[in-house]
Amino acid sequence: MTQTRNLIDSDGKRTDGRGIDELREVKISVGTVKNADGSAFIEFGKNKILAAVYGPREVHPKHMAQSDRCVLRCRYHMSPFSTDTRKNPAPSRREVEISKVMREALEPAVMLEDYPRAAIDVFVEVLQSDGGSRCAGITAAAVALADAGINMRDLVAACAAGKVDEKIVLDINDTEDKEGGADMPVAYMPRLEQVTLLQLDGNLSPDQFGECIDKAVGGCKMVYEIQKQALMQKYFGSETELQEEPQ
Amino acid sequence: MSSSRRSTIIVEHLRKQAMWDSLAKGKRLDGRDFSQQRPLEIEIDVIKKANGSARVKLGDSEVIAGIKVSTGEPFEGLENKGALIVTAEVLPTASAHAEPGPPDEEVIELARVVDRGVRESEMIDLDQLALVPGKIVYTIFVDCSVLNADGNLFDATSYAVVASLLTGKLPILEMKDGKVVDTGKTRPMPVTTVPISITAARIGDHVLIDPSSEEEGCMDARITITTTDESFCAIQKGSTGAFTVEQLKKAAETARTKGKEVRAKLKELENNG
Amino acid sequence: MHDVKRRYVIPGDKIAEGNFRPLMNVVKAGNALIATRIGIAETGRDGVKVIPLSGVYIPRVNDLVIGKIVDHSSLSWEVDINSCFSAHLPAQDVFGRDFSPARDDMGRHFATGDMITARIMAFDRTRDPTLTVQDRDLGRIARGETLKISATRVPRLIGKRGSMIQTIEQATQTRVLIGQNGIVVVTGRTPEGIKLAVRAINMVEEEAHTANLTQRIKVLLNVPDTPSQQEASSAPIGGAPRIESASEGVEERLEVEGEK
Repeated sequence: MTQTRNLIDSDGKRTDGRGIDELREVKISVGTVKNADGSAFIEFGKNKILAAVYGPREVHPKHMAQSDRCVLRCRYHMSPFSTDTRKNPAPSRREVEISKVMREALEPAVMLEDYPRAAIDVFVEVLQSDGGSRCAGITAAAVALADAGINMRDLVAACAAGKVDEKIVLDINDTEDKEGGADMPVAYMPRLEQVTLLQLDGNLSPDQFGECIDKAVGGCKMVYEIQKQALMQKYFGSETELQEEPQ
Repeated sequence: MSSSRRSTIIVEHLRKQAMWDSLAKGKRLDGRDFSQQRPLEIEIDVIKKANGSARVKLGDSEVIAGIKVSTGEPFEGLENKGALIVTAEVLPTASAHAEPGPPDEEVIELARVVDRGVRESEMIDLDQLALVPGKIVYTIFVDCSVLNADGNLFDATSYAVVASLLTGKLPILEMKDGKVVDTGKTRPMPVTTVPISITAARIGDHVLIDPSSEEEGCMDARITITTTDESFCAIQKGSTGAFTVEQLKKAAETARTKGKEVRAKLKELENNG
Repeated sequence: MHDVKRRYVIPGDKIAEGNFRPLMNVVKAGNALIATRIGIAETGRDGVKVIPLSGVYIPRVNDLVIGKIVDHSSLSWEVDINSCFSAHLPAQDVFGRDFSPARDDMGRHFATGDMITARIMAFDRTRDPTLTVQDRDLGRIARGETLKISATRVPRLIGKRGSMIQTIEQATQTRVLIGQNGIVVVTGRTPEGIKLAVRAINMVEEEAHTANLTQRIKVLLNVPDTPSQQEASSAPIGGAPRIESASEGVEERLEVEGEK
């Protein structure tokens, strides 16, 4: 990628007015799809993404079942109206790849061995796309999995960092993704302190690489706080501490 | 090839019996009258990247429709008309029975019935949508995604399409040096009339509109009737049972009266939008 | 009971550190005990557990469940027990050992769509659950209004020694059958009573984790606040069998308030 114009102005503001360490606005609501076992709707910048989880449930076709563990299946899909020019509803190669890396980002957190011979299906539908839809999708999917009551070692939070005007910035937006120097999406399990997704598009020097991954992980931690708050709000309302009643 | 099959939703006998008992007394299990729809909520302009969009909730059925306008070659035989294409997809999020992949016959029927209502009513004046007659015309895609399925997807999807067309903005395109150029300006969609579909299910001798998925699991036959202010413009009978002519005439009358109510609600969106 | 410490958790939260035993929905990572579900964590003398607030039903041997017949082969019925595994009820269980698919008409007993109460006879990691209806009060359910609640709310709906469900039954003149799998069947003398019972059950499901739930249920049902628990065991109403589960699941309830 080569950059043709400045994306950070003299005041250090980016194209959407953010500073270099600032996350876009993130809103998560839990339990938005009535029929699903677990679900979440995330607005991450201009991304509007729905994640629904069904399962654990029976595997069809049966031969896909595994005798010692659960099968995790993941679909990332974009609605035809989610992009600038209409997207053909048939799955593209990009969507197939994202479905795969998304599954691999979630799988380390899910205790698949607890549900042998069953399947867990995760459906991520991008209703409106912006930069970083895979990270937003993973973030919503992890919340939906927790909402479905599936045993998890940890949540998974995702956020990208990247390079714009030779500076490392947090949470790349659409313009920066298309015109910037590098984009590095990262998914992270905050308690286990492990990275479950790492991709890079573009060029970074060894120093920039270290800075970029640190910044992305920092972003994941901010996203995690929002995930946590959304789940707490759904299940416990405004009470954050459990009140014991006097005898 | 289409083959007969069992309903994917097996309604338990206890529930079926309760439904029959209730219908015999003139009430539905959720307390509705036979000619009463579930609450209808419409939110417009939910997808900023689309040229028009609507999110419709009919009871717990939820559908989102988005419009994308582009240009293309006209259809054969319709060289001077724009193209309007309605598609529908039941997302795998929608229910435990929905599967990802190419649409099955039920989903294709859904898309075609919704498309037919819009097309046959001539809701959109396609004559206004030719850029270079015979060569380049506007192509309007209305894509629908069912997010949650709880019965009567026909009407929920149809209302989403109509609401998005009523409130959508057509980008004004021009030809410059043989190329299509977006002027950056928009105008309302060339809407001539507002088609409204009303779907009814027959369970035993009773015909009830806007069936929930539980009612669809018990129904013998289904009928979707689309009307405009003036006329009937599309009908689709579905499911394996049959209707008497009398039942159909009554359903047609209900489709007209209920259609008026829904039309008024949708027109309000247009005025506010 | 107040040596038990409770708090709200989500997956990945550290509940405690030290030499505790992980009991339920908890994993040990080094010295830390980590929650794997959303719910209420309890740290007590015997260990640490999380009482979950969401999740599908996972069968356990001896659980009493309410299921729906969805299909049958020549040797067994397939039963939807609201779980990730569909259960089998062998025809031999109903007809006896000398069952012959050629002679015996399975349709005479159960048809697709029938609801049954059954006990889980066998289930492990390698096989789907097998059911039995050979016990008192098991078999086809003749009537009643069915509803589905999250299986995680079943202990709360039953309440301490059945206190919650008895309160509901008495106030509404109904009998409530509760499967461990979250399927509930209500029968009663009047439609109004059934409707009120269903409302109360839905309220328990939605507000299972909140304090003072019993009080609010009593307000909904218009019951005076402190009835003696002895009166609770009144004569059965309606004649429908009552599931009293032998499973320990009933004991794990979400009681938050300090009931006497």
